[in-house]
Amino acid sequence: MNELREKAKELLNAGTVKVIIGYAESTTPNRTKPIIVRTIEDADKLVFNKFCVNNLAIYLTRKEYKNKGTVGIVAKGCDVKAIVQLIQENQINKDDIYIIGVNCSGVVSELGQEFSSETIATKCLNCSVRTPHLHHTLIGAIEEMPKRNDHNFETMQKLEAMSSDQKWNFWEAEFERCVKCYACRQACPLCYCERCIADKSIPRWIESSAHTRGNFSWNIIRAFHLAGRCIGCNECERACPAEIPLSLLNRKMGMVAKKEFDYTAGIGLDTPTLVGTYDVNDREEFIK
Amino acid sequence: MEEKLISHQNMISLVSDLIKANHLVIGQDDKSIGWKRIADAAEIKINHSGIPSNVSYKEFVFAKTEPIFYYKNKKDDFDLVEPNLEERKIVFLGSKPCDARSIEIMSKVFNWDYKDKFFNQRAENSIIFGVACNYQDEFCFCTSVGLTPTTENGSDIFLVPLAENNYAFRIVTDKGKDFIKPYEKYLSDGNSNLSTEALSKIKHPEKRFESEKVRKWITGNFEHKLFDKVGETCLGCGQCAFVCPVCHCFDIVDEECNYSCGRRMKNWDACQFGLFTLHGSGHNPRDNQGKRYRQRIAHKFKYYTDKFDEILCTGCGRCSRGCPVGIDIAAVASEINFVANQV
Repeated sequence: MNELREKAKELLNAGTVKVIIGYAESTTPNRTKPIIVRTIEDADKLVFNKFCVNNLAIYLTRKEYKNKGTVGIVAKGCDVKAIVQLIQENQINKDDIYIIGVNCSGVVSELGQEFSSETIATKCLNCSVRTPHLHHTLIGAIEEMPKRNDHNFETMQKLEAMSSDQKWNFWEAEFERCVKCYACRQACPLCYCERCIADKSIPRWIESSAHTRGNFSWNIIRAFHLAGRCIGCNECERACPAEIPLSLLNRKMGMVAKKEFDYTAGIGLDTPTLVGTYDVNDREEFIK
Repeated sequence: MEEKLISHQNMISLVSDLIKANHLVIGQDDKSIGWKRIADAAEIKINHSGIPSNVSYKEFVFAKTEPIFYYKNKKDDFDLVEPNLEERKIVFLGSKPCDARSIEIMSKVFNWDYKDKFFNQRAENSIIFGVACNYQDEFCFCTSVGLTPTTENGSDIFLVPLAENNYAFRIVTDKGKDFIKPYEKYLSDGNSNLSTEALSKIKHPEKRFESEKVRKWITGNFEHKLFDKVGETCLGCGQCAFVCPVCHCFDIVDEECNYSCGRRMKNWDACQFGLFTLHGSGHNPRDNQGKRYRQRIAHKFKYYTDKFDEILCTGCGRCSRGCPVGIDIAAVASEINFVANQV
């Protein structure tokens, strides 16, 4: 903790960064919340622990920080994936951010819970970036990470074995609960469009009504917009008040990208984005 | 008020009869996500000691989406068709006191100038089976907004969990009394000593702030930096408004079926969205998240209280429990109390 706070103070004092986006202790146990640190005093509020589940890269595309000097950010490996993807997509400039990378040994899936092998987040289970793959400074040490079965993957395998009708019924029941709050979009670091297609009304592409048609068109279009871009932080699923298993959609898309194009979003800073490139030899068997 | 007793088994029989009588019985779902129509009385779950559902049951009174009329274009004219209103009774089973008052609170705004027949019809048809609440976590703050875990006000019938799966069955309103008359065979004589004793054991959450202080403070501190500080991390996701039992903003949109017909829909909306106040001109009076968060606080603790003498909040804590960035409305209100006390 001290290491993080001292580093933050050093960066602010030296003027290397103007603000640091990090985590602070919450008013309630087993939780943290995002904090925007501008002063040395506030730097003492910074923490990093098992409850730092948020992907803070969401804040980097805000207009308050864009092109307004270097922004420091406390980031786990999974958060750095989002940062890399944002750099690749030209949404942020690599030189405008200072990544305080943290070695991570897993975070909780839901805030408020104790951290254990039962509650470790799905995104941590197959993590390949426990030491952030891009960072300006690195904090903390790698510890042993609890293990559990990947229920999410098991559900996905069951879904894959279903017929189209069964899949439709599964998603119809899940989307039924959607209240169209768009919290999934707002919590997503890669949903940065200034004007979302869901908000366009001339013509209206996606009905804002929370009925079956409106819910399907929203959730499916969002999944497609994230195909080959989603870095799997699962913030959408965590933000969803209706607990719709959005990770199943996003993870499937990610697996297709891996299988068909050997591409993983948010990993290679110099790799062109999947949807931003075209090759006549691209495989297309998956289009049905 | 009359006090009766009902066993869990009789409760199942009662619900079974209500379903047979074609009433809509609404109960909490198994995962505590939201509320659903109960099709089988055996699956009822009266949540008196568990966490409140993620989403409140307001959608059964104030629908998340519904047509307000259908239209059909003719050559020089058009036809309007009114949708059918729900005629059935809606029985809310096991409503905690923080949910039970929600319909009454929202009724004020839906009957202030325009009488919203969609809301009113369902509100009038609602029968609320409240239940004394034996759950409490760090986000509960009903006692800061004038309620307690044992408040009967808002319920038509109030259940108090007793030993051996029995419930004290308190008939609170005339509406409740008339409704339950055909089913009295399931009730036996109650003993108010037992329920009073059970109620006295329920721990009330500590009062976290004075709502009145928040109301007064906002007037002179509209531009206070406190709101900007919250706005800095708020994602504007609106889950707070969508899970809230009393947030009631809606948007009106048309949905065309083709060039000649369509329907006008009334859909939930939220003041935390940037689009909410965006004018056609491009101007947005609430152009940052801090201003939008101020609106949330001011509407709940000032505007609604000024206009309708009600706090637009029941202290259920859903918005804080679900906030992806950990904004706790009671903590913000407490901070306002703290700042107000400094002056």
